Amino acid sequence: MSIFIQQIINGLSIGSIYALMAVGYSLVYSILNFSNFAHGGVIMLGAYFGLYAVTLVGGLPFLGALAVAALLAGLVAVALEKIAYRPLRKRNAPSLYFIISAMGASIFLENLVIVTIGPTFRTYPQMFSAAPIALGNVTISRIDVLMFAIAAISLAVLMFIIEKTKVGLAIRACSFNTKASNLMGVNVNRVIFIIFLLGGMLAGVAGMLFGMRYTVYPQIGVITNKSFIAAVFGGLGSLPGAVVGSLLLGIIETFGAGYIASTYRDLIAFSLLIIILVIRPSGLMGRVTEDKA
Amino acid sequence: MLKVRNLNVSYGGIHAIRGIDIDVERGEIVTIIGSNGAGKSSLLNAVSGMVRYQGEMEYEGQQLPSQPHNIVKAGICQVPEGRLIFANLTVLENLKMGAYLRNDAKEIERDLERVYSLFPRLAERKKQIAGTLSGGEQQMLAMGRGLMSSPELILLDEPSLGLAPMLITTIFEIISEIKAMGKTILLVEQNAFKALAVADRAYVLEQGIITASGPASELLRDSRIREAYLGRK
Ligand SMILES: Nc1ncnc2c1ncn2[C@@H]1O[C@H](COP(=O)(O)OP(=O)(O)O)[C@@H](O)[C@H]1O
Ligand SMILES: [Mg+2]
Repeated sequence: MSIFIQQIINGLSIGSIYALMAVGYSLVYSILNFSNFAHGGVIMLGAYFGLYAVTLVGGLPFLGALAVAALLAGLVAVALEKIAYRPLRKRNAPSLYFIISAMGASIFLENLVIVTIGPTFRTYPQMFSAAPIALGNVTISRIDVLMFAIAAISLAVLMFIIEKTKVGLAIRACSFNTKASNLMGVNVNRVIFIIFLLGGMLAGVAGMLFGMRYTVYPQIGVITNKSFIAAVFGGLGSLPGAVVGSLLLGIIETFGAGYIASTYRDLIAFSLLIIILVIRPSGLMGRVTEDKA
Repeated sequence: MLKVRNLNVSYGGIHAIRGIDIDVERGEIVTIIGSNGAGKSSLLNAVSGMVRYQGEMEYEGQQLPSQPHNIVKAGICQVPEGRLIFANLTVLENLKMGAYLRNDAKEIERDLERVYSLFPRLAERKKQIAGTLSGGEQQMLAMGRGLMSSPELILLDEPSLGLAPMLITTIFEIISEIKAMGKTILLVEQNAFKALAVADRAYVLEQGIITASGPASELLRDSRIREAYLGRK
């Protein structure tokens, strides 16, 4: 029984990081209708920004470094939108062009880091006691608790913005119909700026937490494949769907790794993707869409 | 109030509006009648800044802004063809979207009450998801949402499209009431008879060209127009 609970906690912890990444995909998808595969590059940079904030800048404390990582990653996401997507939007290019542009941006960022920083693995200095927290028979690592807590707070803030503020209302309106939003006086470019900023900041948080938990290297962004699967699982374009899908994926993966073999982790995730696409392409909570690019 | 001169709109090879002039004076209902594909929506979308155009447009003696949100800010709001309500939002949220550019909370609240008294159905359903409304209710919501921007000039694109005859009558009564609120209306319609009956002046648009214009009551008596658009002699 204690192993069972342990697995649930581990699953929720990694799932909450997937969620931070997945909502970024979903936000962009909900308005621009394409999967922003450059998101992984932003997450990777977030991991490096956090690392340097901790090690270089006179060693910022954890929360300070997290803020730096979030802010810089947010700016990178906004810059990517301006450079890689806005020109396509102006020409009303089809989704496929956006995806190709996104993949190009992702490869560019990865290689930029390889040539400037180098391909080696780096690790965050230890910032928290490695001693696990014991709750009866269950032991939980501090970093897992921290990851879950920070992710939960970040997602709560995002949900508040989307559900309760005027900007959030405009985001939801744009996700249904940008033309009508435009006719109501919404500056759609500004809404798109905001979703990239929000998604990028969460990517920065996710990148740093993930880097702290594991290691930092230029290909770390491939982890977003998992969050993409989670976003599709939950229903692309739906934020609650992205969160639920991520947590479920985290738990399913952890159980698969724990009870079968850890090498099955990715196999399970990708099998899940294929099963969903066949059985229920709109995901758990997604709106039914024509094409899922 | 609105002065359109030598307006041209093209989509690739399709020349949808071919050099038309239109004037709308404050307090009027001006209607543009014409059959499907005549270019009516293109005209309204040009005024709203939603399509590229050539020609001059003046609003209140100033050049019309080019960005859609600045046009709304200047006091022109379009209620688009097919309503385009936000089906994923509640009725109240839709109305709030209409007031998106405004910050005067008290005035917004007052306008909300006005919209509810104009469309009591919306008040009853304010918490309901807009996608579940009937076609007539969606049209009312689209008009109410437009009014929430507190526009001086309202562009109505085929408000009667797809509605049952009873509802069409209601919608045209409401158009008169909106005029009585002091708003100016540019109304685009295929339902020429109803549109001419409610309007002060009218233009007939055929394949991107104005082929007739004048006081609505005169066009209503014009035998050529009666034949082409009203189906009677
Ligand atoms: N987005 C568009 N792309 C290409 N052609 C268009 C577009 N919108 C309208 N048209 C064409 O322009 C002409 C006028 O259309 P429209 O302004 O919608 O007319 P109406 O509103 O009077 O029915 C039609 O021939 C239509 O096919
Ligand atoms: Mg039309």
